[in-house]
Amino acid sequence: MLPLRPVCGGIWRAAVHTVRMSRGAPPYRLFSSTCDGAPAALADADTIFALSSGHGRCGVAVVRVSGPASATALRCMAGFTQRLPPPRTALLRSITDPRSTEVLDRGLVLWFPGSVPGLRPAEAGEFTRRAFQAGKLGLTEVEGLGDLIHAETEAQRRQALRQMSGELGRLYQDWSDRLKRCLAHVEAFIDFSEDELIEDGVLNRVDVSVSDLQAEIERHLKDERRGERLRSGVQVVIAGATNAGKSSLLNKLCQRPAAIVSPIAGTTRDVVETALDLGGFPVLLSDTAGLRDSSDLVEREGVRRARERVEQADLTLVVVDSAHLPSEVDRAAAFLREHLRSVLPDTDRCLLVLNKADLLPEKQRQKLDTELRGVSGLPAVRLISCQTNEGLKAFLTVLHSSVKTLCGDPLFGAPTLTQARHRAHLQRCAAALAQYQRYRDTDLALAAEGVRLAVTSLGRITGRVGAEEILDIIFKDFCIGK
Amino acid sequence: MLSIVFFSASVNQLLRCASHMLRKKLPFLHSLLSPVSRHVGHLTGHQYDVIVVGGGHAGTEAAAAAARVGAETLLITQKIHTIGALSCNPSLGGVGKGQLVKEVDALDGLCGRAGDWAGIHFSILNRRKGPAVWGPRAQLDRQRYRDFIQSELLSTPRLTMVEGSVEELLVTEPNPEEPGHHRVTGIRLANGSHAISARSVVLTTGTFLSGSLFVGQTTSPGGRIGDAPSSAGLSHTLRERLGLRTGRLRTGTPPRIVKDSVDLSLAKLHLPDSHPTPFSFLNTHTHCKPEEQLPCYLTFTTPGVERVVRESLQLNCHIQQDTKGPRYCPSIESRVLRFPGRSHQVWLEPEGVTSDLLYPQGLSMTMPPDIQLRLIREIPPMRRAEIHTPGYGVQYDFVCPTQLSPALQVKSTQGLFLAGQINGTTGYEEAAAQGLWAGANAARSALSMPTVTLSRTESYIGVLIDDLVSRGVTEPYRMFTSRAEFRTSLRPDNADLRLTPKGRCFEEVGCVSSVRYQESLRVRNSLQDALTALQALFLSTSSWKKKLPSVPISETKSTLLTGLDLLQYNDVTFEMLASAFPESLSSFMEFAQRLKIEAVYKPHCDLNKKEIERIQREENMSLPQDIDYFSLPVSLSDEVREILDRVRPSTLGAATRLEGITPAAVVNLLNYVRVTEKKKETHRNQRQQEAQRDEELCANSASLPQ
Repeated sequence: MLPLRPVCGGIWRAAVHTVRMSRGAPPYRLFSSTCDGAPAALADADTIFALSSGHGRCGVAVVRVSGPASATALRCMAGFTQRLPPPRTALLRSITDPRSTEVLDRGLVLWFPGSVPGLRPAEAGEFTRRAFQAGKLGLTEVEGLGDLIHAETEAQRRQALRQMSGELGRLYQDWSDRLKRCLAHVEAFIDFSEDELIEDGVLNRVDVSVSDLQAEIERHLKDERRGERLRSGVQVVIAGATNAGKSSLLNKLCQRPAAIVSPIAGTTRDVVETALDLGGFPVLLSDTAGLRDSSDLVEREGVRRARERVEQADLTLVVVDSAHLPSEVDRAAAFLREHLRSVLPDTDRCLLVLNKADLLPEKQRQKLDTELRGVSGLPAVRLISCQTNEGLKAFLTVLHSSVKTLCGDPLFGAPTLTQARHRAHLQRCAAALAQYQRYRDTDLALAAEGVRLAVTSLGRITGRVGAEEILDIIFKDFCIGK
Repeated sequence: MLSIVFFSASVNQLLRCASHMLRKKLPFLHSLLSPVSRHVGHLTGHQYDVIVVGGGHAGTEAAAAAARVGAETLLITQKIHTIGALSCNPSLGGVGKGQLVKEVDALDGLCGRAGDWAGIHFSILNRRKGPAVWGPRAQLDRQRYRDFIQSELLSTPRLTMVEGSVEELLVTEPNPEEPGHHRVTGIRLANGSHAISARSVVLTTGTFLSGSLFVGQTTSPGGRIGDAPSSAGLSHTLRERLGLRTGRLRTGTPPRIVKDSVDLSLAKLHLPDSHPTPFSFLNTHTHCKPEEQLPCYLTFTTPGVERVVRESLQLNCHIQQDTKGPRYCPSIESRVLRFPGRSHQVWLEPEGVTSDLLYPQGLSMTMPPDIQLRLIREIPPMRRAEIHTPGYGVQYDFVCPTQLSPALQVKSTQGLFLAGQINGTTGYEEAAAQGLWAGANAARSALSMPTVTLSRTESYIGVLIDDLVSRGVTEPYRMFTSRAEFRTSLRPDNADLRLTPKGRCFEEVGCVSSVRYQESLRVRNSLQDALTALQALFLSTSSWKKKLPSVPISETKSTLLTGLDLLQYNDVTFEMLASAFPESLSSFMEFAQRLKIEAVYKPHCDLNKKEIERIQREENMSLPQDIDYFSLPVSLSDEVREILDRVRPSTLGAATRLEGITPAAVVNLLNYVRVTEKKKETHRNQRQQEAQRDEELCANSASLPQ
């Protein structure tokens, strides 16, 4: 019950925060148990359990058990055979499988006896729903809270907090207010202009507002998925020829032997994925099979998957074996350009990693390092050695700034889109505004329908807009006689 | 001594065939008045199915609809000769209101045909803004309108009219098998102890419920100048005996101006449409010939008007009170106070062919008469104008309409229906629409048929009633097209397709005559055939270009287009297509305009369909009226519980539209409804099984030898 009881909201946040602060420590399992005072309405309720901390990659998990049999669960799973633990006190216990008595995990156990009258198990999302009902949170803020619970990295947490504090909500609210005004003015023109003095300028002003809004929404939509990226992680793909050291790079970046490394070309055959926290930004790093023509069926599939990954990537790290580079800088640049073309559909979002730098003579290494920078047609180039760690630090700095650019800094600039749902509604909103433009001169009823659809679409993010609200604006802005 | 006039419906049964209506002469009413005058005593002891109280727009439609449905109906009004009177403006229809007139007509109501008979200046408002928001409107001749309504009612079978003032409602214990705390069984007339019983009573008392009139600093009881105030007894019954919540609203009317005293050359001439379009789906032309139509005039207020208003404020008690007045039909006082320094429109409208008065629309006022004269003389064409009757304000009680069901029946009281201004609306059309629906339902209820409702997804009448019963009113409610979410589907042109079959096909409603029903079927089938024929024309863009050289058809995409696609083009008319394909299309020329509209709106209506279906699904989930929202075992905030308890929406759909009801609350309610419906179903099945068993037992025992 802990995270979903409103009075405990602060505690929950504090708990998340504490665990986050002590990153690196073994993950905790928070095990809470409640026996409700079985209110009349739910007297026959089953005992329910759920993973309350949300699904996906989590450093902390909260499992909630609720209902009349929760005490039994506590007894046989947390080893309280004699008596139940003191209420509302966190105890570190081994959690065991009640049948096999095998230890599943160690975690904190909290016992909330249902002595508080009127308590009953919360339904999924009921905490947020209650806050929403009580007018404590707007729709976008509720989603921000969901993200906070899911927050895995500091940057995500910052964006979630920003959304919760209503920045995105305020942006959408502003659009919604302006759209409502547009609709009210079109409606006033439809319902009253025949009898009333509604100046002719009204519709012209609506025209201007509608095109402004349309442009702003489209610009917002073109944020190139930055916000979504921050929520779900930047897709970074390591690609290149076989035996260039791609898997070694992956292992270096995630600081553990996640992928098998061997001198044999074609060792990596499938995509190896690992999640990273890169200076606060979430990164989903994929190592792929080396790109070459192969008669081996399995390897061919691996290459196909590699190419598919590269196409979906937000950023590709093209790894090249430095030893294969021509010694003259000009020819090396041409070689690299050619190589990139064979790996990538476009070279906009990639970094060139020249691995195995330790194999080059010192002189050539320095020459390449200085002269390949700023060569036209080439992305950022970094020489590294996974063997000696040479150049790795400088490479990480470049990688970090690239990822940061892709995510956008969550604390500056216009708030970015964080929900695919928002994107869909905003797209519908922009399309509806195009309907206004299309019918503006031929059928004002259909044009107004466009603005109305736009208001409804945006309302699905910010909350519903009723006809009365539109009429209120009409009567505030116009002197309507009969 | 109370003067009682009594009409019998059997006097004449003329003019039922409405398509011939306009060619006929109206019966000369005065010749009918005297011979059938009887004492009201004849009525006591008589059991009516429906009693309608009030003879305004709501009352006349209610009485006529109830009688059409098949109920023995009695209409009681203070003065027989004011039945069908236009108390305020001499006009009908307009934007939003015109849609209501078309819908009332589609359900065989009176006002559309009355408008066609009495209209003297027809125009379609919003002509350039798209057919969905066209507003058919007419200036009316007051006398002709009244004549038509009275003659129509006289010729309605099963309908009796009587003059009288209702003192109170007869209230008894409720029928325990139906919801409600009381039951109305009839009425008692004032100035005598005459009680008349009826199964249903429809109250359409307009502004007369505790009405008071305001001119300057004088206040007098009444609902309309020149008429006696209604008795306080009725208000008392509603409030004290039935426990209904009431509120107070205000409205007003402008002074009537002597036409000859106005210099119309100083105003802007406003001509009607050269080809008047009738309101009624049954009429092909209006009674008034195109060239006989009268013009209107437009003029504007001056700074002098504002000065007079400000100087006379302390002499104006109506305007000083904070009772809610309409925002959209404000008095000239509130217009200049709210939007100072502006010039406001004033329309000078004819009151009739023979009338020597003008109606200055936009100049509703309540200051003392001498100041009213000063005010109008600040407007150039009226520098020397004379006032025939001064303007005045009215304050009146209305019953908070959230206490009504969508059938316009008082939820707590069996057999009591309300329609018109008593429900907080304003306007003739709004009153007529409610009257028709309340009358039809009162009759159905009296004849032991279930009441019926209209969805807001299929009609403006549905929007009107749903807004009233589920949201209530805070100011006089008027229809606007922007209130209808599905405006593109609810067009004035297709009201017959939407509603006429409905008025008939729940055959039980029966408020539509067979003439009209047959006509609507013919129209529907023809339109369907024409659309099929248009879709069957399937040509490449280049072929279309050859057929219609004047139309800019883009040939860049060599796609196939149907005739229906082509008709969606701005500059393609059905006439053009019909002349290109006379063999398949020329027989549908009669519907050229309707087909064009259908074609243009079809894609948008199709898009609306899904949303409409969702709403209709929600509207089909009824919430029990006796539900205790405070103990309902679902997750709802106290605030939401309070709102639901106060309004008691009859369906989930109505609940979703309440202010303050959150999406989460709706989801929880939805779950609750699903669960209870499932339970009910199981219960019903059990009962059915039991009934079956009983029947079998009966059958067994019946077959036993005697």
